[in-house]
Amino acid sequence: MIFFKDCKRIARSMTYLIYCVIVALFFFTQYFSDCRTEVGPPFGETKAVEDHDLIMSGAALSLAEDYFANLYICYPFGFYKSVTLNEKKQEVIEDALTEMTGLSMEELTKLRDNAEHYTSYDGLHEYNGYIIDSVPVSSSLTYDRFLEIMKKVNKTLGGGSSYKPDDLIFKFSQVPMTKEEALEEYDNFTNKDRVTGALARLFSDYTGIDAAILPVFVAAALTSEDRRRRMSDLVYSRKISSFRLVFTRYAALITAMFLPLLITMIIAQIQAVSIYGSNISMTALFTLPSFWLVPNIMEAAAVGMLFTELFSGGTAVIVQFLSWFLSLLTGSGQLYGKIRSFTLICRHNTVFGRDIFMTYHSQFVFNRIFYIVFSLAMVTLTVFVYETKRRGAFNGIRLFGKGSLLRRKA
Amino acid sequence: MASGCLAKVVCSDAKHNFLVHYLLALAVILASPLLFSIRYLDSKQAAQPLEMLVPLIGIILLTPVFMPEQNESIRDVVRSKKTSYSLICLLRLLMAMAVLLSLIGAFVLYMRHCGSAVTFRHFTGSAASAAVLGAVGLFGAAVSDDTITGYMSAVIYFITNFLLKDKLGIFYIFSMSSGSFAEKKWLVLMSVILTAGTFTVRSIRN
Repeated sequence: MIFFKDCKRIARSMTYLIYCVIVALFFFTQYFSDCRTEVGPPFGETKAVEDHDLIMSGAALSLAEDYFANLYICYPFGFYKSVTLNEKKQEVIEDALTEMTGLSMEELTKLRDNAEHYTSYDGLHEYNGYIIDSVPVSSSLTYDRFLEIMKKVNKTLGGGSSYKPDDLIFKFSQVPMTKEEALEEYDNFTNKDRVTGALARLFSDYTGIDAAILPVFVAAALTSEDRRRRMSDLVYSRKISSFRLVFTRYAALITAMFLPLLITMIIAQIQAVSIYGSNISMTALFTLPSFWLVPNIMEAAAVGMLFTELFSGGTAVIVQFLSWFLSLLTGSGQLYGKIRSFTLICRHNTVFGRDIFMTYHSQFVFNRIFYIVFSLAMVTLTVFVYETKRRGAFNGIRLFGKGSLLRRKA
Repeated sequence: MASGCLAKVVCSDAKHNFLVHYLLALAVILASPLLFSIRYLDSKQAAQPLEMLVPLIGIILLTPVFMPEQNESIRDVVRSKKTSYSLICLLRLLMAMAVLLSLIGAFVLYMRHCGSAVTFRHFTGSAASAAVLGAVGLFGAAVSDDTITGYMSAVIYFITNFLLKDKLGIFYIFSMSSGSFAEKKWLVLMSVILTAGTFTVRSIRN
């Protein structure tokens, strides 16, 4: 049967061997070592709450200080970017500030003049900073309007600023946990999540980083192997349909790459039982990580197959690496609750914060289903490309050489 | 005569096999100011783009040195030629290194022009990180006889740096961003050892 033959080929490949080693290595050095001891209540930690008043006052104060200094720190792709605005763009911020606070520009300037002034030197330039105690928030400002203003401010700053609507809760609404809240979090961990539900999120967070990139190498190596070994013509001449061939190969890839993850899930379950006893969920460490990680494997493998057929293995690696790199670094400061409709690498690097995770649960479900459908669409496209090549009507896109756009390589 | 022939080989190689890689490396450099702020940065801040993004060109330029002969048909033709295959690969490597150093040099000069506090140290530090990433890829590709495995090895090394950070000790490629330069000489040494190992493996195999 072709499926098992392909599984065998994958299992014997060097890229798959490396994939298994890295999955195991990252699992033991990250998740396994983090979960060695029993988790207790998170006393002394902070939590993000969706308190609209807190968010609006915090954002208004921060924006006022940034505006007066004309220095905005942004992380458009996860990296530090200090933004200084020109006069026209400062006016946009000025309008936002006056609408948010309900103060006129004169009143705001007075507030600045009374504020504590400091000069900071970053080794090259001097910056004038202001420490303002508080700024009022206009009583007529609704939260929806506030979000619209924040969207505009973030756009004016070039993205990735502290005022990005999705990140406002995490930036401006962090409050210290009371003892009761810490105990409630712990109660969520032990009763609602039944321990492994929370551990499953942490497991998926760690494993998702490598599951979103490594499968592309295995898929690209397998797809390009026929050509490299001069077996393409032989395979093309077989009776089997392109649809069946490509999808069987894809299914073999997903199965083979899921297997090491399944083994790490079993080890994680055994570790959890040995620490917390048997009164925990016996399924959560299998169901949630499967739903979380399989779409990542599917997407990376689909990119590997499609771009290798269309261009080359190198191109597939570059495309997947770019999307992985940008997804990992966008909002890199946010390690939990980083789950939106199209986030490639979902992050929730804590056993707590069940409430935050549940806030984004519907987006999470949409996200994972989207990536499954997207991957299947890419594989269907691969079938079409493969079939065209098989019929001799297409031989990959070429950049150099006669009548070519992109040169195709093995 | 011989040197003229080699120059022809290198030019033809660059044009037909590696131009796309050179262009891609250039694209990474040109994209850097879009992803990072490069104006008025102090020494540590300036090290960020120079260590986290620019060294990726090492993977792009150095890993595919053996790629053209990965196709068995091409390899059969190359084997039948009189010119030493190792010499051709060495020339390709030197060419890739020259492109790598030129691009990093140009980027560092541009950062300096934009008022960032970059020095020659930043240039050598970034080049060392790029060289070691490329050398890991080159070695992986040579050992496995598959460029994709080479890319995979280099990307895994890059990810490991992100995840384990300074736990990697002398093998940490982002050390300048945290103010340390001592790791760079070890990275250069590792690059040299891996490259020498690569050519040894390759010559034994051929």
